[in-house]
Amino acid sequence: MGRVTRRQLTDLPGTLGLPAALALASILAALAFGLPALDRAVPAGRPVDSGLPYPVAAGVTVVPPPGADLDVTGTRPGDDRGTVLFRLGRVRYAIEVEPFDGDLTAAAVRLRQRLTGISGHQVSGTQLAVSTAGGLAGVQGGYTAGDRDGRYAVFVAHGLIIEVMVTGADADLEHVLPAIDASTRTLRYETAR
Amino acid sequence: MSDEVLPGVTRSAALVRQPAFWVVILLLAIGAVRMSQIAALFLTSYPFATVTAIGMFALLAVPFWLFVSELDFLEREPAGLRGLAFAWGGLVATSVSIPGSTALDNLIAKFGSPGLAAEWGAALAGPTVEEIAKTLGVVAIVLIARTQVNSVLDGIVYGALVGLGFQIVEDVVFAVGAVQLAGEGDRVQPVIATFLVRGFLAGVWSHTLFGALAGAGIGYLVVRRDRGRGHRLAVAALALLAAWASHSLWNSPLFREGFGDGALALLAVLLFKGMPPLLLVLHLVRRAHDREAAYYVAILAAVRDRDVITEGELRVLGSGSRRGAARRHAAASAGRQARAAVRRLQRAQAALAVELSRATADAALATGVDARAAEVRSHRATLAALGHPEAVEGARSWRHTASTVGTALLAFAVVWVALSALGDG
Repeated sequence: MGRVTRRQLTDLPGTLGLPAALALASILAALAFGLPALDRAVPAGRPVDSGLPYPVAAGVTVVPPPGADLDVTGTRPGDDRGTVLFRLGRVRYAIEVEPFDGDLTAAAVRLRQRLTGISGHQVSGTQLAVSTAGGLAGVQGGYTAGDRDGRYAVFVAHGLIIEVMVTGADADLEHVLPAIDASTRTLRYETAR
Repeated sequence: MSDEVLPGVTRSAALVRQPAFWVVILLLAIGAVRMSQIAALFLTSYPFATVTAIGMFALLAVPFWLFVSELDFLEREPAGLRGLAFAWGGLVATSVSIPGSTALDNLIAKFGSPGLAAEWGAALAGPTVEEIAKTLGVVAIVLIARTQVNSVLDGIVYGALVGLGFQIVEDVVFAVGAVQLAGEGDRVQPVIATFLVRGFLAGVWSHTLFGALAGAGIGYLVVRRDRGRGHRLAVAALALLAAWASHSLWNSPLFREGFGDGALALLAVLLFKGMPPLLLVLHLVRRAHDREAAYYVAILAAVRDRDVITEGELRVLGSGSRRGAARRHAAASAGRQARAAVRRLQRAQAALAVELSRATADAALATGVDARAAEVRSHRATLAALGHPEAVEGARSWRHTASTVGTALLAFAVVWVALSALGDG
């Protein structure tokens, strides 16, 4: 065991002090702020064929509304669960599919509790029955999220829960809701996948 | 041998005079604010589940903390720096990783495809951001207290504690996220399920392990001055890569369904994904511990004072299992007080070895040798008064063997029940 020499005491990275600490903080800043900035700079929207069924997950498909873009940051397909996010201007149209062993009533309660569990979200209005062209039965309702309004719908079929969430400013929603409703009615479970 | 351990001491007064120290404190404060905001959101929406999650995972942290802290028995890291490492993992690395990992996952979807992000996003984005953020915690400790990272084992301990802090906070976030996803209100079932999966089954192979791997590299970079700077940087980079690869393998979809259903299949996946890094870290710990022990035992051997340490105790002090055997032997022959006295003697002998090593490196650091030697003699006198003058190991008892086998069987049974429940689920 020799004495600790001056060269050792000034070797990497112990005594670089403030510059090294600032470099360390810069790397953290690049991770915490640089990556999100780069993410925001790269467009997330992709054109999608509005007339063709889009595979969401687990055999569930939907025909996107005309003029919708696919937002790849909110879209994660999968064999047994997944999500898709479409954007129509400033309106978000999200569909989530996952395994579920309850009935429609339980599914609706679950979705409403998830909504109200988010700070500032409140369920509004009454809940109505809804069905799709493919025969899926569900319920739909509305909610508010701060200065934005929302619509939700939930379906249960073949051991899956299909949750639809639409959010946007009231004026924007007014223009696109008919097209989104029409799209929601195209939700279908394909048995042969 | 001379470069396996670099002794030194950091005084708190010197610590606060360093600008780097205040940069690290500022980063910790920013991390604390950010994580407090997240905790406040959780507490507002799910107070009972959040408090339960914090309580359960805090309890889980205790055995990990004790185990990691004991890894370096001979030269324990200061509690303040251990706390700083844990806080870095829980406050800084997490608050950086939440936005960073999400952004990188999105970029994978944008430059690749949503399908690629769904399959491989967790295996690529999470490890990339998180392993860098955690490893910087060990670098931060080197910057403010370089003399406290004086063996590869120190790097392993600090890295593991950074990983532990990250793991506990991430588990709490996941547990409350599971409550939100379940949509059943403020209930604890999702917290318990998360605890079972992430804390109990995945806890052993999680961030504590990855952090230890990366920390070993930083320890090597700092300590092995006998090697060139390029070589040491390459080893540190390799260790970080190993941590990344272990984390990536754990998160990857590989063998997700490859071994079928049921408890046995789940156990096979856990072992396949978790064993390589676990074995690697155990090998590194053993190697680093033995080298450090050989260094300190050699220093104590040079003292040649039977009141300080005997030949038999020199053999015992360098091995964790022998130290434990010596304490059990004391308990069997002279009662629980003797067991505690042996432990105190071993601690004092280790502390004396560290003081002597500092005195060897720099005479100005030799301030505590006499006090430590007096401490050792005091514990020796206590032990002698109890009728057990030497802290050496005895013959292996059937009771200890039976206890070890029983504990292993119980642990296996508990794991099997948990795996069966999850395999059927």
